[in-house]
Amino acid sequence: MRRLPLLLILLLTLGTTTYAATALHVQNAWVQEAPPGATVLAAYLVIANPGAQPQTLVSVSSPDFAAVEIHTSQIVNGMASMTQLKDLTIPAKGQQVFAPGGAHLMLLQPKRALHAGDPVRLRLQFKGAAALDVTAKVKRASSDTHHHH
Amino acid sequence: MNRRQFSIGILLIVVALFAVPIFYAPKPPASAEPGLTLIPPRGELPAFELRDQHNQIFDVARLRGKWSLLFFGYTHCPDICPMTLATLKQVHQLLGEKNKNIQYVFITVDPARDTPEIMGSYTGYFHADFLGVGGPASELDKLTQALGVYYRLDDNAKGNYQADHSAAVFLVDPQAQWRGLFASPQNAQHMAANLSRLQKF
Repeated sequence: MRRLPLLLILLLTLGTTTYAATALHVQNAWVQEAPPGATVLAAYLVIANPGAQPQTLVSVSSPDFAAVEIHTSQIVNGMASMTQLKDLTIPAKGQQVFAPGGAHLMLLQPKRALHAGDPVRLRLQFKGAAALDVTAKVKRASSDTHHHH
Repeated sequence: MNRRQFSIGILLIVVALFAVPIFYAPKPPASAEPGLTLIPPRGELPAFELRDQHNQIFDVARLRGKWSLLFFGYTHCPDICPMTLATLKQVHQLLGEKNKNIQYVFITVDPARDTPEIMGSYTGYFHADFLGVGGPASELDKLTQALGVYYRLDDNAKGNYQADHSAAVFLVDPQAQWRGLFASPQNAQHMAANLSRLQKF
């Protein structure tokens, strides 16, 4: 019986991508492959927050980029604009979708050329919580980013 | 009907009245069908002189003889611009043979950073036939003003500044006349179907 707690810890650790402290988890993280020489790229992902408390993303970093900023694009009266966000709150029992044409992580000054299939490491820092490490995959902008009629 | 049944009846009606707007609330505009707005011919666009990625003059003469799809943006734009150019690439794939009567033109609103070389590698990534065009604001504005294109460079920012810009794709006919715009977010199938239809005129 003395081994039971150890076994429980092992079981809880294995096979879960859930971030224990905050219960946040990330799905479908990807970076849009950029034309050669591009100095600004975008990453997209879904941050799900099954917890009872809202969680606030305050900063993001990546060893592959000089800086990462939280941005949102919007089109108002036919005009596209981007706004840098100081932080972004993921509602309790909700999620925040980062997708083309909306919220995205702006990746500045890549330190190496990135091609479809390459992994990009991102560290998401939430207010009052430990960082969440995510690996996003570089993907070529595809036809399925748009809804088809 | 006794009083109790009456009260329950009233309660049900009240609940139903509140439920109707919940179930029949209009869908957000994001789900609306992306549209092509057609504009009646109003004569050739005014003279302007820009340069393409091969440093060749791109002027109103380059708009004659083909349908043109013009999109205004900049290469330091990580989200809307690659998304729109990827859609144009899809349109190109869908149209196949019909592309011989269409040119795809990406025009930078940020000529200070977007040199012809940069425009060439940027547009070339999407398709070798796509044109990357730029030039001084004085020339660019002749075209943007004629088309009602808005852009604004964020002059507060140092280094990595951004720009606001019209998100539509502008349609110019083979007589170099502005004939319409595809509002954002564009749908490749919708655009390709409309372009096929227009070419039969």
